[in-house]
This record gives sequence, C-alpha cells and structure tokens, in this order.
Amino acid sequence: MSETTSVDDALASFREMMAADGYLLTWDPAGEDKVVVRIAATDGACEDCLVPLPVMTNIMAKALAPTAYELDHVELPPGATH
Amino acid sequence: MTTSTREALLDPTGAAEGASDGTLSPRPVTLKGLTVGLLDNTKPNSTLLLDEIAADLKRDYGIGEIKHYVKDYFGTPIKDELFQQIVAEVDIVITAVGDCGSCSAATVADGIMFERAGIPTVSITSDSFAMSGQAMADVQGFPGFQFVMVQHPVASLDSEHIRGRADQAVPEALRILGVTEVA
Repeated sequence: MSETTSVDDALASFREMMAADGYLLTWDPAGEDKVVVRIAATDGACEDCLVPLPVMTNIMAKALAPTAYELDHVELPPGATH
Repeated sequence: MTTSTREALLDPTGAAEGASDGTLSPRPVTLKGLTVGLLDNTKPNSTLLLDEIAADLKRDYGIGEIKHYVKDYFGTPIKDELFQQIVAEVDIVITAVGDCGSCSAATVADGIMFERAGIPTVSITSDSFAMSGQAMADVQGFPGFQFVMVQHPVASLDSEHIRGRADQAVPEALRILGVTEVA
C-alpha cells in the first residue's frame, strides 16, 4: 500500500461525511511528514452545515494518526464563517 | 471589545475555558414523573422525531410533563438564556437532530453543557455524522460523552420512517440515561 493510498484511506469516511453536506475534501503534502487538508464547497453545499474548524481539525488529526503523516492545517472554503 | 473576547463569543464549539469536566450527571434510573425537555434544533423532522420518542417514554416509562424548546440556529451551541431556562425547568433533556456537520457537533455540545449542569441528556445525531459529534465531545474535553446515532438520513423522511428512527433511538436513550425501571 502506498503512502498516498494510506492517507486517502484514512480520510475516506470523513470525505463521505463532508460530501453529505456538499463539500469536497482533498489533501496535499506539506513537507515530508505533514499534509494540508482542503475543504471546497460544491454548488449544492450547505453553508450553515460546515463543521467548525476546531472540530474539523480534531477529526483530521485523529484520522491521520495511523498514517505516516500529521496534519499541518485545514483550509476551509473562502468566506467560511466557522 | 478585545480580540480574545470577540473570539470567545463567536466560538462555534461553545467550549468555555476550563470546561473540561467529563463526568456524567447522576442518572435517574426511572423516568416516572420526571419533566422532560425536548430541545428542537429546527432541522427538518426534529420536532416529529422528538415527539415520537417522548410519546414512547410517556406510554412505557411514565414521564411527567413534556416541555418543548426551540433553538434559534442549529449550527452553534445553545444560547445561554435558553440554556438557563431549560436547566431550571426540566429533569432531563432530549435534543435532536444532528444530521449535518455543524448541527451534529452542536447537538453534542448542547448535551455536554446540560450534563455539566447536572441534567441527564440524550443528544441525537444521524450515524453519518458520528465523527463530527465525537470530535466535538473531544474538543469539549468530554470524550466519553455518549449520544444516540440513528440511521441517516432524517430530514428527508416521511412520518412512517421517522417512527422507525424513534424505535432505534428509544432503547439507546434509555441506556444512556441509565433507566432500568419500566412504569
């Protein structure tokens, strides 16, 4: 299993959860051992449904724990009020 | 207003500084005669789901008065004025429904606030948003807070299917409340 697959697997269930509210989750490496998680709104996104940033950060950090990576930070859609 | 004050007021997690008590309020064992507060977060079908659950608890467990409360916004924890009113008026709280990211987190945050105020509380989310609810419990310093997860979705269901969700929720609610005595 590649490291990329490992991160994808680790974030898969949260990706599904975000999709239920109309958000798209992606990630990129940030240095050798960290990743940045990005949340983008789709056309049907529920703006008021977005998980608050501290909660989202908690979820991502835990989700990545079994991987070789740590969370660098989470980026919310532009204008997100949470 | 200082920046730190503004941030505290706008904190969507509702996590107050020093609020780290992870101890449940005393469990009631029996619901007979207890006043139950139903806290509706305004999400579709919240009212119906709460009413169905309360009807079961009235019929089978002898709860007393049922009081209805409505939050003004589902995405953030309950405001203090309504929170204080509920704490003063009821013995237990049931709150629903967390079927989105923010509202599932807020529903759990509300439950934790009531538990810390000594009110046994059942927070109800849909299972698709269990991670959001659990993460809020972690952020609040109450990782062991248990909440009811019913099958997703809730908002789009008709009354017959909401009845089914209530059937899922009641046994779990009783377990969380520590109720062992049937009326």
